[in-house]
Amino acid sequence: MRCEQVRNLLNEYIEGSVSGAMRDRVQAHLDACTACRGELEFFQAIWRGLSAMPEVTPPADLHGRIMTHVRANARVREAHQRVAFWRWAGAAAVAAGLFLMGFFAAQSDSVKGENFPAPVQKKKPEIEMPQPVQAGVFIVYRQAENGARLPVLEARMNREVTAELYYAPDPETKAESMVVWQGKLQPGKTVEIPLQMHLQHSKERVLTLWWVFDGQKRVLFVPAGYPPAKIASVRLQAKLGDALRQLASLYQTPIEWVPNGEEPLVVLDVEDATLEGALHQLLIGSTYGVKRHGETWRVVSK
Amino acid sequence: MYAYDYSSDEILIERFREGDDLAFDLLVRRYEQKVYQLAYRLTNNPDDAADVAAEAFLRMYNSLKRFRGDAQLSTWLYRVVSNVFFDFRKREARHQHIPLELSTEDSDETMELPIEDENIDIMGHAMQEEQKRVLMEAIQQLPEYQRVMVVLFHIEERPYEEIAQILGLPLGTIKSRLNRARNALRELLEPYRELFGVETSPTIGQPQEANDAL
Repeated sequence: MRCEQVRNLLNEYIEGSVSGAMRDRVQAHLDACTACRGELEFFQAIWRGLSAMPEVTPPADLHGRIMTHVRANARVREAHQRVAFWRWAGAAAVAAGLFLMGFFAAQSDSVKGENFPAPVQKKKPEIEMPQPVQAGVFIVYRQAENGARLPVLEARMNREVTAELYYAPDPETKAESMVVWQGKLQPGKTVEIPLQMHLQHSKERVLTLWWVFDGQKRVLFVPAGYPPAKIASVRLQAKLGDALRQLASLYQTPIEWVPNGEEPLVVLDVEDATLEGALHQLLIGSTYGVKRHGETWRVVSK
Repeated sequence: MYAYDYSSDEILIERFREGDDLAFDLLVRRYEQKVYQLAYRLTNNPDDAADVAAEAFLRMYNSLKRFRGDAQLSTWLYRVVSNVFFDFRKREARHQHIPLELSTEDSDETMELPIEDENIDIMGHAMQEEQKRVLMEAIQQLPEYQRVMVVLFHIEERPYEEIAQILGLPLGTIKSRLNRARNALRELLEPYRELFGVETSPTIGQPQEANDAL
């Protein structure tokens, strides 16, 4: 291969989208050519420099500035009067009900990650409906002052539930298992559980947590979240739980798995796939589907 | 007094459509940091960034009723920010001339960086800071479209698919233009190779192996 050809491919080479024989040829050229290797290093350093840009702190008055600009220039909104407080409160209660049901009760096998959820129905739900235990578990990442991303588990329930969250490197034997959090979750209250400390003690790049309440068991694979991979080539053959842990680690994206009693052996062979694509591929033919829940991907029974 | 509202975006949008301005306020709080951050990366100026952010939210206010919900709200907002930025630049371009070379602090010469063992950390830190500054300045020299793509992909770490949605371009176009943008950025950074820890100048030649064989 000529240097010019190789240099045109360097960025794709860095992100891993040059595949197969072409990748081997580029690699062979790089092994032999100091100048192109220098060029590769330069691009790599630029990529690193860009992704290491620190977060920017907005000015303290940003919110006020935005709202002032909006109030001063907004088009007058037609038809609707401002709602009275009681009406707003009523709407909020209905919204909260819809929110919980929409997110936690619906069992869908389609991948919805990139689509904006369907518009909220105007129809009011039956409020007296008996509510099954519905758990909302999110992994959110908080930016630390040093730029590190710190995973925090946010849990909320629609009725009082006793729950236990534990860390077990080997869930079969529960050897070395450690309770991370234990207690009552109250409806409407969010419990935040920082996970950074446990992640640091975990030997892997991803923390495996078990989350138990009312006999239901869920598994959470929590990576540090950095650096996140957008696309990756994955080849694996493993039991579903292991496969999900590997994907969480590879993409540095949290995955929650709600086992339905089946843990099939899965095979995955994808190139340059997004996590969404990889999960979709992984679960074909299984009894599981995937949904996105904030930053967390949930693998649940179809 | 402000309390965080866990309602999803679509619930807040629905509430806003029904006339509840508090829902809009909550949406602004939810996204202002993200929006400001992107605006800052594009303008490299806190004041301009706040102006871009404010204008983006104004456009959101005026068009939220028409938001179809076929993209995430954050994706849609990124799109609005990019458009506001393009408009700002067009307006700016009528008023001023944009410098074509990167400035250095002291002179036009490439910085020399003598590194001594005892203060290697201080120098390392200074180099990193300088690297960030040079990178931000280089990004500012890119044409607008390339700048938006580089910032979205490399700094905001958005996937190609989302950038395609934000800019309303096909995926293949995004990939090829981004590649061009990276090459342009690399050209702008050529005088600063040392700052990136890369020494050898890129002379295009035959692979070493071929030379050895002769």
